[in-house]
Amino acid sequence: MEAKITLTKDIAERIERILADLRTRARAESVLLADISGQLIAAQGDLEGFDPTPVAALAAGQLSAITELIRRIGESASQGSFLHEGREKGIYLLGVGGSFVLIVIFTSNTPVGLVRLFARRTAERLEAVTAEFETMVTTSPGPLVDAGFGEALSQELDKALGEW
Amino acid sequence: MFINWRLRELNLKIVYYGPALSGKTTNLQYIHAKTNPKIRSDLVSLKTRGDRTLYFDFLQLELGQVAGLKPRFNLYTVPGQSYYISTRKLVLRGTDGVVFVADSQMHRLEENVLSLQEMWENLRQLGHSPETIPLVVQYNKRDLPQITPAAMLHQELNLNGKTPFFESVATQGIGVFDTLKAIINLVIARAQRQL
Repeated sequence: MEAKITLTKDIAERIERILADLRTRARAESVLLADISGQLIAAQGDLEGFDPTPVAALAAGQLSAITELIRRIGESASQGSFLHEGREKGIYLLGVGGSFVLIVIFTSNTPVGLVRLFARRTAERLEAVTAEFETMVTTSPGPLVDAGFGEALSQELDKALGEW
Repeated sequence: MFINWRLRELNLKIVYYGPALSGKTTNLQYIHAKTNPKIRSDLVSLKTRGDRTLYFDFLQLELGQVAGLKPRFNLYTVPGQSYYISTRKLVLRGTDGVVFVADSQMHRLEENVLSLQEMWENLRQLGHSPETIPLVVQYNKRDLPQITPAAMLHQELNLNGKTPFFESVATQGIGVFDTLKAIINLVIARAQRQL
């Protein structure tokens, strides 16, 4: 089965610090980390004006496609990456350890070289941390879902999906 | 599955799979249209010029606090057209449950069978066991003429009696929420066993 991702308080804070550091050094507007299935893991910076959830899903899809593309042309050793430079904003995606994607959003005033350089360094730092929490499946800090959760959720679903 | 212990968030991924034009996107469009905007994201659709799904559709449902937890469901569709097989496999990555949307019309039977076989193969390659992955089947387009009886479709697809199925007319919303609730309940039941 594919890895289940468990994010403890300690690891969440470490990731946030790394992302905040990247944001400062690369002069980025915002920095996000998603897993390759499209799940947003953490975000730092200015998140006004866009919903980070679909951004994470789209970035993961984009990076998955690029990684598959480069694999098909015999470039399997590389981390996939993608850069878009728009008139006002740009976005840079970089694979982290095969299972995650780093998303850097920056303005056109930010030098792209700076973004790429610090994103690559950040990916290396993140790789060590993500490898740690990918393996934490069996060491969860306590029960998260109790026996009554399923029933409570079912009732909530009936309300949410029936009255609007 | 992604669990954020600090925020007590439980994030689960559900993929709507099935042959081309079976109604996968229509399911998400109906869910998007009929749920409170406070609990759902925008519907993101990557389409071709011909309005067919190119990559995937995406919709997140966030139910707020439930028994001290914040469950979130990320709903995806795959593109159904046969030549998008690589894309379907990419979208299936990390899924916690699958809704197979079949087209009930008699002449689409073979496409349903082939699509389901492909789905099992993709899931196996991604490390999922067909015996344990939560699956709900939806027999869609029940309002059209010349449809196969649902029980017969279930047999033709070689699905056992334990696999829940629903008859639907997704364009009218019939069966859409029943299917969604069923897959969510299965996914949660599995998560409870795992956590």
